Amino acid sequence: MDAGLLEQMLLGALLGLSVYLPLRCGQLSLATPGFFAIGGTVAALLSTREPALAGSGSTYPITSVLLEMAIAAMLTGVLAMGLGRVVLRLRGIYLAIATIALVEILRVVTLNLEFTGGALGIFGIPQPFDSAAGYASFTLALLALICWLCDRLEKTRPGRAMAAIRDDDLAAASQGINTADTKLLAFVLSALVAGITGVVAAHFFNSWNAKLGNFDASITTLAFVVFGGSRTWLGPVFGGLLLTALPELLRPVGDLRLIVFGVVILVGPLFFPQGVVTPELLKTLKRRIRLPPTPTAQGGKP
Amino acid sequence: MSLLQVENLGVRFGGLQALKSVDLEVQQGEIFGLLGPNGAGKTTLFNVISGLTAASSGSVRWRGACLDGLSSHRIARLGIARTFQNLRLFSSMSCLENVLVGLHQHGRQPSLAALLQTHSFRRREAQLHQQALELLALFQLEASSHQNAASLSYGDRRRLEMARALASRPQLLLLDEPAAGMNPAEKDELQELIRRIRNKFKLTVLIIEHHVPLMLGLCDRLAVLNFGQRIALGSPEQVRRDPAVIEAYLGVGA
Repeated sequence: MDAGLLEQMLLGALLGLSVYLPLRCGQLSLATPGFFAIGGTVAALLSTREPALAGSGSTYPITSVLLEMAIAAMLTGVLAMGLGRVVLRLRGIYLAIATIALVEILRVVTLNLEFTGGALGIFGIPQPFDSAAGYASFTLALLALICWLCDRLEKTRPGRAMAAIRDDDLAAASQGINTADTKLLAFVLSALVAGITGVVAAHFFNSWNAKLGNFDASITTLAFVVFGGSRTWLGPVFGGLLLTALPELLRPVGDLRLIVFGVVILVGPLFFPQGVVTPELLKTLKRRIRLPPTPTAQGGKP
Repeated sequence: MSLLQVENLGVRFGGLQALKSVDLEVQQGEIFGLLGPNGAGKTTLFNVISGLTAASSGSVRWRGACLDGLSSHRIARLGIARTFQNLRLFSSMSCLENVLVGLHQHGRQPSLAALLQTHSFRRREAQLHQQALELLALFQLEASSHQNAASLSYGDRRRLEMARALASRPQLLLLDEPAAGMNPAEKDELQELIRRIRNKFKLTVLIIEHHVPLMLGLCDRLAVLNFGQRIALGSPEQVRRDPAVIEAYLGVGA
């Protein structure tokens, strides 16, 4: 497979995780592209305007990319904390609308500011890797790290609290769960993931403009989670990888591909209302994999 | 000092006066019953005590400290747990997970230990699982611990909600119609069960229930509400003979 496409798929998976985190505690936030755009703009500005970051080698130093990620994370984190306090008082579709508004505000501001390059955006963002394969391995490592963190989150106390809030907000509060703080935590984590993904994307795309964080992106990233499933982190990763790849893989069928893509998005929720990847499916798979071979001694669990 | 004091409590929803200058004192260790026809304001009183509804006037005191304005999770952490009249279980979770959420306040662990799954973290998690299983066993639910909470029978769901409420190790347990939907045999068992958990966990219980024989047999003291006002208070014997209670339930001249 083409490494460039793989890189795009991995970025899709990361954005899927960013939408998934608030959804896991029942919060339908579409703010992901907004934070993604902030990360991208931060990376574009710092790497093109700040000579100290450029280093002396032929490629842009990876440490500078990590520094940009740290700055983007800080910025999106602080913004999400402030905004979250206000918008997370809204529920369901109202929260979705408020977060769409946030994405649009950020887009229009970026479009009209002098130093973000206006409608043209910022060009010639320096490359830390010579090839798409370099990007893909870096992003794969990042995705693995975030998946691992999500897995730990799901299996521990804050993850249980999030699932409880998703099932029943009031009952969760009655068990002593601080629902406001837990929702805020999920919202901030979502912003962090989107922000650092934006940094990687800006370098990979080589240029950055306001169009990359728009309403369309909100819907596309939401589709990753709706299709893949929002009960475990594997869902959005699966959805992000597949739905990013599908339009490219369908190129041989010409213009029909858009129809096929639409049908997949439509049929997915119809046959898998919980998303394709659910905890039940994972349990069944585990059992199937365990059954045929003789049980190993190192399995541990009865 | 009494454990819970309700002083001159009033709740108004627009034009509806749901509670009007209600006074109650619940003593440590007693089983205190709330009786009253539908719409009398019993659940509203529970909602005020557990922080889901704000009082319009008056106040609720817990061990002498005012609870006004505290959010429900803060009140839960003070040691007041409740069940809900129309069952609010976490329906996508197993019974065991429901009780684990109830253990939330006691399961706090350092984040780094949780990330790295250190030995002490896993030992503590195993302890929590053990505690949850013990609670399920107390309510005869251990066999369905991995079953989805939504798949249980109605009576079992009521018991699971009680197990979850007990997991937070409360001092005061608010039970909102725990016998609703149970058959007579289950109701008898429930009465026994409530007594047993009161003694085992040194609880104080405040209970709403329509089944009058159960309430008369179970409660140390009873209060009767009608149209948001307390019309009677006393021992089951006193309440049963109170003319105001007879009038509220049977009408004037009965």
